[in-house]
Amino acid sequence: MVQQLVANGIIAGSIYALIALGFALIYRTVKFFHFAHGVVYTVGAYLAYTFTITVGIDPLVSFFLAVILAGVMGLGIDRLVYYPLRRQKASDLIFLLASFGIFIFIQNLIQLLYGAQILTLRRGPIVEGHHVLGTIITNTQILILVTSILLSVALWLYVKHSKLGKSIRAVSDDPVAASIVGINPERVIGLSFFIGSMLAGAAGILISLETNLEPTMGFTAILKGIIAAIIGGIGSIPGAVFGGYFLGMAENLGIWKIQAGWKDAIAFGILILFLLVRPGGIMGIPTERERL
Amino acid sequence: MDYVLHIMVIASIYVILAMSLNLIVGFTGLPALGHAAFYGIGAYTSALLALNFGASPWIGLIAGAITAGLLGFVISFPALRLKGDYLALATLGAGVIVYSIAKNWVAVTRGPMGLPGIPGFTFLGYPLDGVWAYLILVLAFVGLTTFVIGRIVNSPFGRILKAIREDEIGTQAMGRDVNYYKVMVFMIGAAFAGVAGSLYAHYITFIDPSSFTLMESITILLMVVFGGLGSLRGSMVGAVILVVLPELLRFLGMPSSIAAPLRQMIYGLLLVLLMIKRPQGLMGHYRFK
Repeated sequence: MVQQLVANGIIAGSIYALIALGFALIYRTVKFFHFAHGVVYTVGAYLAYTFTITVGIDPLVSFFLAVILAGVMGLGIDRLVYYPLRRQKASDLIFLLASFGIFIFIQNLIQLLYGAQILTLRRGPIVEGHHVLGTIITNTQILILVTSILLSVALWLYVKHSKLGKSIRAVSDDPVAASIVGINPERVIGLSFFIGSMLAGAAGILISLETNLEPTMGFTAILKGIIAAIIGGIGSIPGAVFGGYFLGMAENLGIWKIQAGWKDAIAFGILILFLLVRPGGIMGIPTERERL
Repeated sequence: MDYVLHIMVIASIYVILAMSLNLIVGFTGLPALGHAAFYGIGAYTSALLALNFGASPWIGLIAGAITAGLLGFVISFPALRLKGDYLALATLGAGVIVYSIAKNWVAVTRGPMGLPGIPGFTFLGYPLDGVWAYLILVLAFVGLTTFVIGRIVNSPFGRILKAIREDEIGTQAMGRDVNYYKVMVFMIGAAFAGVAGSLYAHYITFIDPSSFTLMESITILLMVVFGGLGSLRGSMVGAVILVVLPELLRFLGMPSSIAAPLRQMIYGLLLVLLMIKRPQGLMGHYRFK
């Protein structure tokens, strides 16, 4: 029982980590809560569904296309909505509310186009999972875990070592100084939206291989992603991954003794606790503590 | 005709909600995203008292205001330490927790099945059956809310609220206990939302957790922002327009499977456009810092 809960926690954590990663990457450069990140996750899943089931393209090709398009969508959101706000030097709260607006608009557009019912990306019979250390793990879950770890490591290496990655860090530390040395902040912001949104799209596809698609799926996802990012110390990339797994474990071990319906309440309880007691997250990012 | 009156009752309930949220968000400058929690606890308190103990809706209404006020007391704690978007997130979280309790504490709230058969209001022994009678009752409460909140914001107390909004540290330096005002404003705003919840529960006669979601909180906030932060008249206009506007879709003969998401899309688009073009709203004096 406990082993299974731990395994479930790790799988849930992998998804949370992916969402939190993209969210944290974007937060680092723009410093506001990009709530509409959750709807990019939904769109990724629905695009994959459209390509594989409706159009009938090979799954791998269509997943790849869906991930790219999710990235383009993130970029589009930034250009259309956030860019004008940045030019007005709007406050963080205005960004957050605009982001809610985008989220609501696109989520309901999906509902209008696809209907409110549950869809699935799975095809063929359901195969029984492998027995590992007293738990049952399916092939899809292994895929989720491996993809999540690979993408996290790849992103971390990219931001740490590549030239563009370094410019992302430069802009997030000090946009003015970065533009003095010839880095175009707008380009870097666009890049982080593109990469971050691709990660969200990938997470959306992975989860819909394991469970189902519904228009409202992005809502819980982004809330969990934000909570994970805050637990790990907002804006920190290793922190986001750590926070994702921490939250996945806490939620799943939390329902050991109580009903599963309380998962969300546990997650938000943890969030409020962190915001009040340790707003910098476990890793304690000092610049954020100054802001609070 | 009854349909038009029904829309007016619903719009009036939202006017109370929007004005009470404006006290917290617009006048004091505290971005709170959990207003549906106060609305919900008022509705549940009043409904449960009536269903389990046969209490009069009037007692339920007062009890609903008190429990909502107490919840406001609890939820105001994050506001003492957090600012801006972080406070928005914490209050949003508190809202989700309250929703989660309404949904999962099945023994008391019957969870997603909801509470049917809530009795209506009576006045001096006569039941308020018709929509007309109910509209008068709700309008009376709109009047009461406008009077009380209007008096609050134009009093010395209200000037301190605006001072907190404009310059919190400055207000503290003037020797005002900022935390006391923040807690008070949350409790008062929450109590009025609780009244709105009670009015809603006894009018619709059925409540379930789906009426008190985060989307509801955002809708109320949108009414406040659209009408204008820090303007009570704005909140009235905002609430009425945003309730009536989507109803027009129904006249175009749209089935609800299309009208419902379309209505939300309008809200979403409106929120984005407002933030870009006019963040202070129609009649507002203040924009989010």
